[in-house]
Amino acid sequence: MVLWLIIIIVLLVLIALMFLFYYNRFVTLENRIDNSLSQIDVQLKKRADLVPNLIASVKGYAKHEKEIMTDVTRARQALIKAPTLEKRMKAGAELEKFIGRLFAIAENYPQLRANENFLQLQNELANIEDRIAYARQHYNDSILSYNNLTKRVPGMWFASMYGRTAKKYLEIPAEERAVPKVGF
Amino acid sequence: MERISFEDQIQKNKVKSFILIVVIFTFFIVLGYIISMVLDPSYFFVVMVFSIIFSLLYVLISYYNSDKIALASVRAKPASQTEHRMFYAAAENMAIASGLPMPRLYVMESEEINAFASGRNPKTAVICFTTGALKKLNKQELEGVIAHEMSHISNYDIRFMTLTAVLIGMVSIIAQMFLRSLWFSNVGGGNRDGRVQVFLILLGILFAILAPIAAQLVSLAISRKREYLADVTGVKLTRYPPGLASALKKIKSEHVSERERKHRVAKAMAPLFISDPFKRKVSGLFQTHPPLDERIKRLESM
Repeated sequence: MVLWLIIIIVLLVLIALMFLFYYNRFVTLENRIDNSLSQIDVQLKKRADLVPNLIASVKGYAKHEKEIMTDVTRARQALIKAPTLEKRMKAGAELEKFIGRLFAIAENYPQLRANENFLQLQNELANIEDRIAYARQHYNDSILSYNNLTKRVPGMWFASMYGRTAKKYLEIPAEERAVPKVGF
Repeated sequence: MERISFEDQIQKNKVKSFILIVVIFTFFIVLGYIISMVLDPSYFFVVMVFSIIFSLLYVLISYYNSDKIALASVRAKPASQTEHRMFYAAAENMAIASGLPMPRLYVMESEEINAFASGRNPKTAVICFTTGALKKLNKQELEGVIAHEMSHISNYDIRFMTLTAVLIGMVSIIAQMFLRSLWFSNVGGGNRDGRVQVFLILLGILFAILAPIAAQLVSLAISRKREYLADVTGVKLTRYPPGLASALKKIKSEHVSERERKHRVAKAMAPLFISDPFKRKVSGLFQTHPPLDERIKRLESM
């Protein structure tokens, strides 16, 4: 009798521990996902902060390339004003595209390319681009481990009890995925 | 599956670090006992109290300063933000990709391409590169090597490896001192039973010789598996196996003069580095690292 009681109590404690473990696991992984998203956000903002300097240094050498400069400025405004992270990411991709175009145009201005300040900005923006790519990768990695937990046994059962469902991966926007056309 | 084995690895490293500390701690107390027996049993209590305090301090100081001791032993200096810009950029990328805090970066003076990570947890982690590595590796290779070091950090390999290096490195020095003092001490004379004394001395010598060797063998056996694992987890961060592979190829093909190679790096530090700083040709039991060819082959087949 006493033996049975002990066995039942031990089982109950084990089950309770499992509940705790899975709850904490979900929270940890969700925090990791949030954290990686905020990392993307930080980098997007850093990029936006560098744009005015970039415009200023380009203006000194390529005054009449007005079109691209307004495009870049507009994309930056859109990024700053975007209310949600999702929209900021979209605007960020747009800004990245225009900045890339700006650098392509800058190739035609040897003096600009030789400018110390401009080179430094170019380098810094390239670094930010790398960091955003790695932050996205980390986000997707975090989602992967989260989704694995929600879809596999026994995490699956706990996921449904705690109301946790699989999350979506970050997709690369269509225009980024397309191979850039090279015109001659 | 990967997730689980990864966490197993962390747990194992923490347990091993703890066991190592306990072993070293008892080693000193036993050593104190032997010393007191060899010298003069009337000093027994004084020597034991001293050895307990000493081993406690030794273990605690090593645990909290192992990274500093490791860095100091290779005379590393903090990397400068302006001079080593690519190093910082690559490390920041890998920190973001792994979700770990940014490690502190150090540079050590050496023409050879090499690197190591140290610290007791990811928050206190440091990564140290040789000046040769920073000069000769391009960005992809640099990121590959940093990613390898980052995996050592996230696996808690750094805790176990640095503790091993520091605790055992010091043990070998102390064991040598013990042996030397035996040589000069008044062995033959005394009013005690000569047999017991000789036995104790022999035991002491055996102890002093075997202990560091055994401890080092333990660290060697695991460090090879660690390197493969760190290579694989590192590639998961860069998603670019050729980066690390070509860095390893550069390490393999570089010729550094014997003189250049010998200075600076203490033997006990060898397991910490990404490739064996002594470039030992003999394979087998004493090898701290898997052969570079094998590592390159594995990376290229990914």
